[in-house]
Amino acid sequence: MSRWLIQLRLLLRSLFRTRQVQQDLDQELQYHLERQIEQGLTDGLSPEEARFAALRAMGAITQNKEECRDTRRVNWIEDLVQDLRHGARRLRKNPAFTVVAVLVLALGIGANTAMFSVAYGILLRPLPYAGSDRVAVVYMRFFPRDFAFGTLCIRDYLMWKENNHAFEDPSLFRSLRLDIGGNEGVPEQVQGASVTAGFFPTLEVRPLIGRTFAPGDDQPATRSLTVLGESVWRRRFAASSAVLGKTILVNGAPSTVIGVMPGVFRFPRRDTEVWTNLPLNPPTRYGPWFFRGVARLKPGVTLQQAQVETNHIGQRMMQQNPYYKRLTLPVLGVREALLGTTLKPAILVLAGAVGLVLLIAVVNVANLMLARATVREREMALRLSLGASRGRLVRQLLTESVLLAVMGGVVGLALAWGGIELIRFWNPGDLPLIDSVRLDWSALGFIVLLSMFTGILFGLAPAFECTRADLNATIKEGGRTGASTRGGRTRTALVVSEIALSLMLLIGAGLLLRSFANLRSVTGGFSTQPRQILTILISPGNRKYRDDRVGLAFYDEVLRRARAVPGVEAADLADSLPPDRQGDADTFQIEGQPLAPGELNPIISQPAVGPDFFRALGIPLIKGRHFNQHDTQDSRPVAIVSEGFVHRFFANQEPLGQRIKQSGPGYGDKWMDIVGVVGNVKYLGLTVDTDPALYMPFAQSYGPLMFLVVRSSGDAAGLAAALRRNIQAIDPGVTLAQIGTMDQALDLSVSQPRFDTTLLSLFAGIALLLAAVGIYGLIAYSVAQRTHEIGVRMALGAAQADVVRMVVRQGASMAAIGIVLGLGGAFLLTRLLKTMLFGISVSDAVTFVAAPLVIMLVVLAATFLPALRATRISPVVALRYE
Amino acid sequence: MSKPTFLLQGTLDLLILTILALEPMHGWAIAHRIRQMSKDALQVGQSALYPALHKLEQQGWIKAEWKVSENNRRAKYYSLTHAGRKALAKEAVQWERLSAAVSLIVRTA
Repeated sequence: MSRWLIQLRLLLRSLFRTRQVQQDLDQELQYHLERQIEQGLTDGLSPEEARFAALRAMGAITQNKEECRDTRRVNWIEDLVQDLRHGARRLRKNPAFTVVAVLVLALGIGANTAMFSVAYGILLRPLPYAGSDRVAVVYMRFFPRDFAFGTLCIRDYLMWKENNHAFEDPSLFRSLRLDIGGNEGVPEQVQGASVTAGFFPTLEVRPLIGRTFAPGDDQPATRSLTVLGESVWRRRFAASSAVLGKTILVNGAPSTVIGVMPGVFRFPRRDTEVWTNLPLNPPTRYGPWFFRGVARLKPGVTLQQAQVETNHIGQRMMQQNPYYKRLTLPVLGVREALLGTTLKPAILVLAGAVGLVLLIAVVNVANLMLARATVREREMALRLSLGASRGRLVRQLLTESVLLAVMGGVVGLALAWGGIELIRFWNPGDLPLIDSVRLDWSALGFIVLLSMFTGILFGLAPAFECTRADLNATIKEGGRTGASTRGGRTRTALVVSEIALSLMLLIGAGLLLRSFANLRSVTGGFSTQPRQILTILISPGNRKYRDDRVGLAFYDEVLRRARAVPGVEAADLADSLPPDRQGDADTFQIEGQPLAPGELNPIISQPAVGPDFFRALGIPLIKGRHFNQHDTQDSRPVAIVSEGFVHRFFANQEPLGQRIKQSGPGYGDKWMDIVGVVGNVKYLGLTVDTDPALYMPFAQSYGPLMFLVVRSSGDAAGLAAALRRNIQAIDPGVTLAQIGTMDQALDLSVSQPRFDTTLLSLFAGIALLLAAVGIYGLIAYSVAQRTHEIGVRMALGAAQADVVRMVVRQGASMAAIGIVLGLGGAFLLTRLLKTMLFGISVSDAVTFVAAPLVIMLVVLAATFLPALRATRISPVVALRYE
Repeated sequence: MSKPTFLLQGTLDLLILTILALEPMHGWAIAHRIRQMSKDALQVGQSALYPALHKLEQQGWIKAEWKVSENNRRAKYYSLTHAGRKALAKEAVQWERLSAAVSLIVRTA
């Protein structure tokens, strides 16, 4: 038999026939003992003496056996099984401890796993298109259109393409809303994209059926072609392959369906459902700036190198066109392009915060274990003296804590699953890529590692604590569970760190809460209750409505019918809406304010609105008059400006009667009289400071795509159905979209801050709870231990108030140290929140004062109960205690 | 725990292997033989002997079987395996070299 076979046989024997092995060893040693005695007898000792001599020579038989077992190398498996059994028994015997510890751990592990899944799904999981990490989106930023990730025009694209070396074949796309109609059902508006032929090949995606655009499909005067997303295809065409070659209406014009993309493909926006071909007509001028570029990096070229090149190209663009100032071409990877720039830092901050929660949970459980460890000191001391090695005991205690952590992990897994489902269902932050957030193998792996890690983390301190026990002292103490000061100090340090950590979280949450309150208190500039405002985007589709006479007549009818709907108090039209639906925006010129050559006024919101728009929303008229029904195509052009506009461009001047015109490429020479001044309204989001606006009457500045704005006497949501019916009765081909109340629009506009605030507050709440449990546990424990001392004090005449003061002082001093440390940590860490805050600084005094107060209150409350209990100690009982 | 400090690490293994090379033997007899052959100079306590035996068995150098002993009782007899014989040859050479070197130093120093 070869050696390893023998070894295997022995190993298996040791593992599975433990009894047999044990017996063999016993017999072997017994035989030895007998022979030793016989030897003694033959040497002339009495039987008694022989036996003693033999036993002495043999030494501790048990130790001997232990060592023989050790050589069998399988004892770690046996030990593990034994430790697990032992641990489980101990946990069963202390149900209160077990339940608290498991719940605390489950909270920590569950929250972390949920957050891990969110972070992984959004930031890390590979996008469902091949090699997406090599694909970049190219933007353009320039003054006066100062959007950080703004758009290019076709001329810019051609120039980029001509000078490009970093990317393979750059392509161009534009995101837009598309009205889909035809014989297949009621027209609907979907998120769409207009793309050049290189778009799909660049992203390396294949259609489900049919084809994508061919190289010639983006040439001038190509017929309109459509690629449907799987969702639209299922929704409107019953997933029938007969859709290929069919003609549907896209924005009122016929277009041929050539293919269907799988549902996982969502680009350039995460809700894009339809793609049409973008014909690259030779541009005759700069603008319109509707487009973004997308291209695959050439092999070996990095994003940074590509950025350097596009910056050079940007320089040339500025030389060629004096209208461009401070122009750059920012380049972003596809994932960043989908996520936007604010989400990633927020998720990282939240992940960090939830890590702190876990740390607090671990500290808490470590503390509970330490309290138990002092009780077990005697057991451990005894076992050490019986020859158990320290490593073995530490391993046993660690097995116990890992077992606890695994139980916490299992419950935590359930919590994480629930949390993820909740986040997906509620999607409070309107998060992109939320579909790829799920509990999967990576999350399971994460939870297993996390459980093991936390188990060892919170088990180590107590394990060393109680195996370091000084044998003599402990055994002599006669089992009195007197707090060794060392253990006490460790526990106090743990509670102090818990307080410091939860203060940091509390301050973070406080900052976000106050910032969110600021955000919610921003009105958007209108005084009508948001829930009383309903808005509907009307897209008439049919090309005949591009004619302004036809269109104005249609909208007159829309308004007539809308105003007749019961419950409607006011109704009118606008192409822009607060808080963030900016319509037209461009630069302008004021008569008598000449600009230096090459200079331009900034681009501002230029909404076209009906006369009743301001009244419907409750936007105050500061000066002059509203638009009225006499402001028509045939009357003098008029305009209304906002207060912010006056402040910036008519400082110390009377705005009324001044003349102004839209400028920028493509505008004529239509001077308008300023007839009124209205309050400021936000069209670029609640966080944008002031956005000057130049209003024009809808009748003098017609466009076919308009929002119907309705103010109702009560809740506006109920009006939607009646309004929809009435508008479709005028023309069933009209597409109605984005139907919702202003309430919903405001909610949506602050969804990401809400997400951040909700989660961080939740984490801080959990942290606070855990800290309270921790400090309560520590104080209650120390009161119990000091029963004797307190009894003596009271017997010697200490008043109840003295005792309460003494106990509370203990808690308060821990809180004070924790607060000082926590404040220091918070000063450093809250800087990370900078970009997430609105209207307050990262060192907001109110938060930095209020949060420590809250902590102090919680600590005092947690201390007060045990303190009260201490006063009820009867001296007589206390002295007899133990 | 209390290992005989007068035996160099690994020396006990060598002694056991050497003795078992003569004939299969049980634990007590091995201890006895070591004592006899060393003229009472070496005394092996069971606390060192049995763990060493079990370790050698584990390494596959010796094997054990239950047999009836010279006084008609069941005892566990250990004998050398093939691998054990080879190991013994190697260890013995090494020991010679080591002890010669040590003696050399002790004498000349």
